[in-house]
Amino acid sequence: MIYLQGIKKSFRNQEVLKGINLTIEKGKVVTILGPSGSGKSTLLRCINFLEKPDEGVVQIGDVRVVAEKANKKDIMALRKQSAMVFQHYNLFAHKTVLENVMEGLIVAKKMKKAEARQRSEQVLERVGLSDKLNYFPSQLSGGQQQRVGIARALALNPEVILFDEPTSALDPELVGEVLAVIKDIAKEGITMLIVTHEMQFAREVSDQVLFMDGGVIVEKGSPMEIFTNPREERTRKFLKRISGGLPVHWIQKTAY
Amino acid sequence: MGKAFDITLVGEFLPQLVQYLGVTLQILAVSTVFGIVIGIAAAIPRLFRIPILSQLVVVYVSFIRGTPILIQLFLIFYGVPALFLLFDIDLTRMDPLYFVMITYSLSNGAVFSEIFRGAIQAIDYGQTEAAYSVGMSDSQTFFRIIIPQAIGIAFPNMANCIISSLKDTSLAFTIGVMDMVGRGETLIASTAHALEVYISLSIIYYIVVLVLEKLFRLFEKRVNRYKPDVVSSA
Ligand SMILES: Nc1ncnc2c1ncn2[C@@H]1O[C@H](COP(=O)(O)OP(=O)(O)OP(=O)(O)O)[C@@H](O)[C@H]1O
Ligand SMILES: [Mg+2]
Repeated sequence: MIYLQGIKKSFRNQEVLKGINLTIEKGKVVTILGPSGSGKSTLLRCINFLEKPDEGVVQIGDVRVVAEKANKKDIMALRKQSAMVFQHYNLFAHKTVLENVMEGLIVAKKMKKAEARQRSEQVLERVGLSDKLNYFPSQLSGGQQQRVGIARALALNPEVILFDEPTSALDPELVGEVLAVIKDIAKEGITMLIVTHEMQFAREVSDQVLFMDGGVIVEKGSPMEIFTNPREERTRKFLKRISGGLPVHWIQKTAY
Repeated sequence: MGKAFDITLVGEFLPQLVQYLGVTLQILAVSTVFGIVIGIAAAIPRLFRIPILSQLVVVYVSFIRGTPILIQLFLIFYGVPALFLLFDIDLTRMDPLYFVMITYSLSNGAVFSEIFRGAIQAIDYGQTEAAYSVGMSDSQTFFRIIIPQAIGIAFPNMANCIISSLKDTSLAFTIGVMDMVGRGETLIASTAHALEVYISLSIIYYIVVLVLEKLFRLFEKRVNRYKPDVVSSA
């Protein structure tokens, strides 16, 4: 379970998050849509304190942190509840695929090496990389690197996995393999919060869709509601633009 | 003045001079090790923007860079005993070898600190964020993710610096250290065959540099084995 209350964040004088409230039940897959600069990444990064919120409460599972009072220990505890998949993969360049996945298990979770290896191999098989265990990230395609990123997050068995535009840096022909992996683990019942511009994917994978603009959650609902019958004008405009000039009913049709 | 050139003397001088190679290597080893320690200590205030200390480091680095090593050597040789004399401690009988080691350690430390700082800053911050996101602490991230990669980046520059400091040790004789050059000077004084001595010295230095370069290249391959160009050529 994720619970956010009154999350505010400013950079210099620009208020990027204007008091976000959000509850996500365990096992739900939630996607965040919204135009560039609307604060999607900042929200995700506030959840694991890669950015420290100026105000508000973040709770994941049973770890609750009040931003104003957060100390290093609280933040570490909170970070152990989540894992993140980054747009640019951010793999550890000097470690092999297997070591990338094992690192968090051994260092943060204090797992025994043999156990960590077994778990990592298992997860890497899940993302289809069993034959690449001893490769370095520089030897992999973007799609393969991102699947390592997903395996690294998944291995930790966190309360929630945060995805920040996991396919935006990929060549178009590699997007599919990564989305397929995410869809596959979504079935498993892990809570996921995904920022994406892939509408078709969002429609298929989400239990709930959030539309963000200007630092607030403008609208939320089921994929059906958001894609076929958005209540807010801003949502409608955004969907129209992102559908590449195609009439909105095209997305509506594919939403069924 | 010099006598007629006699190439066979080179063969005669070489073994006599090589006996003093140990002193040269000793200076090099000590000043490299202490240089690394000083370099790390001096890089930290600037990386973490510690006020005052970081300004001091800036002055130290720019002074070392802006003055000839020979002058630094004399400054230490005369300056340190003068300083200790203020506290009634007499260092005039101390082996000049120590002053050489101090000078070269300080000099290497300044250069190394800049190399380390650059190497650490060269590592993409995204990896630090990834480490935090899997639950690693600041120090775990620094020692397990950043430092191993920074060493790989810093190493080629450090290797160059070590090789040039090997050559710089040839100045140690100016304050009376009996290293290879010091021994060479005494040979010149007694035989008047300066050219043969310097040819012998150049041969020894050149061979040592070649050996060091070879060793460094092997090590570099090992620490950077994750990089694409190294991987594919291996
Ligand atoms: N570290 C930072 N320093 C200053 N401003 C920042 C910083 N991070 C984000 N911002 C600003 O905050 C605003 C929201 O950024 P954010 O990255 O959250 O948007 P986003 O919705 O993820 O956009 P995109 O779809 O382009 O990724 C932007 O105007 C951005 O310039
Ligand atoms: Mg973003």
